[in-house]
Amino acid sequence: MISFLVKRFLWMIVTLWVVFTVSFFLMRAVPGGPFDSERNLPPEIEANMMRRYHLDDPLWKQYWRQLSNTVRGDLGDCFRRDLPVDRYIREGLPVSAALGLLALVFSMVLGITAGIVSAVYRGSVSDLTLRSVATVGIALPNFVIAGLAIIWFVFLFPVFPAAGWGSVRQLILPAFCLGAPYAAYVARIMRTSMLDVLSQDYIRTARAKGLTQRQVVLRHALPGALLPIMSFLGPATAGILTGSLVVERIFYIPGLGSHFVQAALDRDYTLAMGLVLLYTVLLYTMNVLVDISYALLDPRIELE
Amino acid sequence: MSQRFLLILIIVTLGISSVAWAVLRGNLPPADFTFHNETEIKSMDPATVTGIPEHRILAAIFEGLAKPNPETYLPEPGVAESWDISADERVYTFHLRPDARWSNGAAVTADDFRYGIRRMLDPMTGARYAYQCWYIKNARRYSAGLAGVEPGDRVEVELNLPASQPWTRRGELLHGVLLSKKATDRSGQNSNVVAVRVGNQERQFLVGADTQEAPGGVEPCRQVLLDFREVGIEAIDDKTLVTTLERPTPFWLQLTMHYALFPLYRPCVEEHGSPDWTYPENIVGNGAFRLQFRRVRDRIRLVKSDTYWDRENVRLNIVDALSVDSRTTAFNMYETGRIDWLTDTESLIVRDLLEQGRDEVDLNPAPFLCTYFYGLNLNQKPLDDVRVRQALSLALDREEITRVAMGAGEVVAYGLVPPGIPGYQSQECHRGDPAEARRLLSEAGYPHGIGFPKFEILYNSDETHQTIAELIRKQWQRNLGITVSMRNEEWGSYLNSQRQMNFGICRRSWVGDYLDANTYLDMFVTDGENNRSGWSNLEYDRLVADAAAELDDEKRLRLLESAERILMKELPIIPIYYYVSRNLVRPYVRGFYNTAVDLHPLGAIYVDRDARGRNEYLSSE
Repeated sequence: MISFLVKRFLWMIVTLWVVFTVSFFLMRAVPGGPFDSERNLPPEIEANMMRRYHLDDPLWKQYWRQLSNTVRGDLGDCFRRDLPVDRYIREGLPVSAALGLLALVFSMVLGITAGIVSAVYRGSVSDLTLRSVATVGIALPNFVIAGLAIIWFVFLFPVFPAAGWGSVRQLILPAFCLGAPYAAYVARIMRTSMLDVLSQDYIRTARAKGLTQRQVVLRHALPGALLPIMSFLGPATAGILTGSLVVERIFYIPGLGSHFVQAALDRDYTLAMGLVLLYTVLLYTMNVLVDISYALLDPRIELE
Repeated sequence: MSQRFLLILIIVTLGISSVAWAVLRGNLPPADFTFHNETEIKSMDPATVTGIPEHRILAAIFEGLAKPNPETYLPEPGVAESWDISADERVYTFHLRPDARWSNGAAVTADDFRYGIRRMLDPMTGARYAYQCWYIKNARRYSAGLAGVEPGDRVEVELNLPASQPWTRRGELLHGVLLSKKATDRSGQNSNVVAVRVGNQERQFLVGADTQEAPGGVEPCRQVLLDFREVGIEAIDDKTLVTTLERPTPFWLQLTMHYALFPLYRPCVEEHGSPDWTYPENIVGNGAFRLQFRRVRDRIRLVKSDTYWDRENVRLNIVDALSVDSRTTAFNMYETGRIDWLTDTESLIVRDLLEQGRDEVDLNPAPFLCTYFYGLNLNQKPLDDVRVRQALSLALDREEITRVAMGAGEVVAYGLVPPGIPGYQSQECHRGDPAEARRLLSEAGYPHGIGFPKFEILYNSDETHQTIAELIRKQWQRNLGITVSMRNEEWGSYLNSQRQMNFGICRRSWVGDYLDANTYLDMFVTDGENNRSGWSNLEYDRLVADAAAELDDEKRLRLLESAERILMKELPIIPIYYYVSRNLVRPYVRGFYNTAVDLHPLGAIYVDRDARGRNEYLSSE
């Protein structure tokens, strides 16, 4: 176990370095720079700004400076705004995490329930309905869901506020819109794996013992059927974290997603780099956690 | 089983409490007045910002020598309670009011203005708006660093700072006379040293050298600049400031309302360094409001200052400036009562609202000083031919463009300078005339558009720009028989293409910095920073330069009008329409007026929920 973690940690360092290098050169290969605006700067002033941010140094020198600063834990100041990068992360990460967590809970609760119902009442009207809803849920991007949700729940039936951050009521619509497509995926995975488990011998044995349908499904079939959901958790978390951009914009939530895209559009080299590295660490950690949870849930899998 | 249950319970509790913590951290007591400040501002440091959202915040926490009248946006006494102007209109003597205070209680002095402007001009600051101060005598030379001085000039040498000091401090200053910019040091190795006579001694300096010791008896230094005492700004005493200008500048008082000329509290800037001095816990301002906190991409909260000299007339206690990126979301928030003033309503939404009669309730679009135009690249065939440019302009149906693509009553434009500038008469190009356009095009050698070379319309990705480009493409095809293509690029690449003149025709717009035609017309002088058309006309250059030197305002305006007449005949740009402001302001908001620059001082705004009748916004023109 320890050696597994150490090995994974070393690989993470290598991954981070590769990500750093690729992003560094990609960002600078794109036309435009961090000081562009509709008004041209007089050349003397532009030269001063370049000098202040060391953008007039040769590329390898810039690379080396940023790499060594990053290793020391200093992500630097943003180019476009007078704030250090870690302040963005400190303010945005809790918001994104809270939103993401709630969205994940939504998608799990809805998805698993729908999946069980579909599998148990296979072929019934409710199965058909749930499956169609799930298909539509996968096909609809979350900004469409958000637009519909706003029309219904903000303007037609004013139950939720239009946008903002600071109360639980403001969190529900965005978390729902962010989680809905994933709920649809989870429902489909759950249905398949539940059908699979329900056809196993031990379920027949359980029924033969005279257990009620409810006991068979919830106590005997459910734990086994949950394994594929666990493996979906890794990519789902990744998708929810990086995919929160649209929902954050529509609901005016100060999370990390919009910083990420805006930093790239603004050519804000330091901020974009800081967020790319942060996402790398988060996704990597999530994947390691999923690997560990496999081993814990299924004794046949060994970590190495 | 029970252990597993406990584990699940712990995880769930942790999850719920961390979500609750993150949410409740965002919970705040409500503000008196909330407005939509468009986007997250870049900074609170006047030296590093350029945009309108920044302007709104900075004008609330700082105040210049003059401050804008909320109704006309013309200068009236701010920190300076009065001023005298010399007969040649080059020397302004400002008398500062005795009760002007910083938010920490210290008095605002003439030296604070001198410090703020010196910092703006200092090349080390990298200020974008330094050119707003260039009207002051020798200011441009000061901000050019070593490039601004010649042997024989009085200079100041700034020695290196110890590494531990904040960047905003200045190194030790030596005053002397520049002997040579490219001397050779005594060892003969380095030929890029600066020789300066300090006192009776000749000393050699190496600019921008990081090391504390340089070889050959050369001293490292941060920079060599024109002696700041040569720059036309002088603090006679604590309460008297004199600015001497390069030439008469009729809009100088207006410029003192701009943040580039705001005072700064030196101990704050120097102690905390940049950008830390702008953080809420550190910043010291002198305006009507104080910065309480700033949350990235969420809001800036301002509270009324208790040290501001005119605090009795400031009626809002807490103001929130929200940075909502999506205009649709901001509109939803306005409609559900969470925003009191929406600054930038989507044009097509405005059209719907006008149809619903909202101009009787909370909407009153009005022209302001911003022009939407197409810039032409004259280095590219066939746009180098003036007949082609005239044909392109004549073939446009601008009415159709504003009717189809816009909705807030935007005004068609036939000139660059928008109407509304006092005393100035905008000069127009010819209105739409497809027959004449066709005649000019065939005269240029392209009858019915045959053989017309291809070029592209470049615009930044945005629905409105795309609709306009599409309409123009169709109008040219219909009226001239020519085919042009369209190319959209996201903002960063678009600016880059624009600078490199990598386009045939490019969408542009320009908002005036002050109420004067000069801010538009000096763009197109030969090789101007923002010319970007390759156009050059000596007569035009002469007229703009003569206008700048002209003492008599009447004559000056006539000179500028002649310049615009040339511009509208030569057409290196094709004006399309003038913007209108698109503010939505709730009826209970009072003290809010339409102004020519679409800026609205927060200090004058108040909320009166019991008031009846139309507010000032609906009644103003």
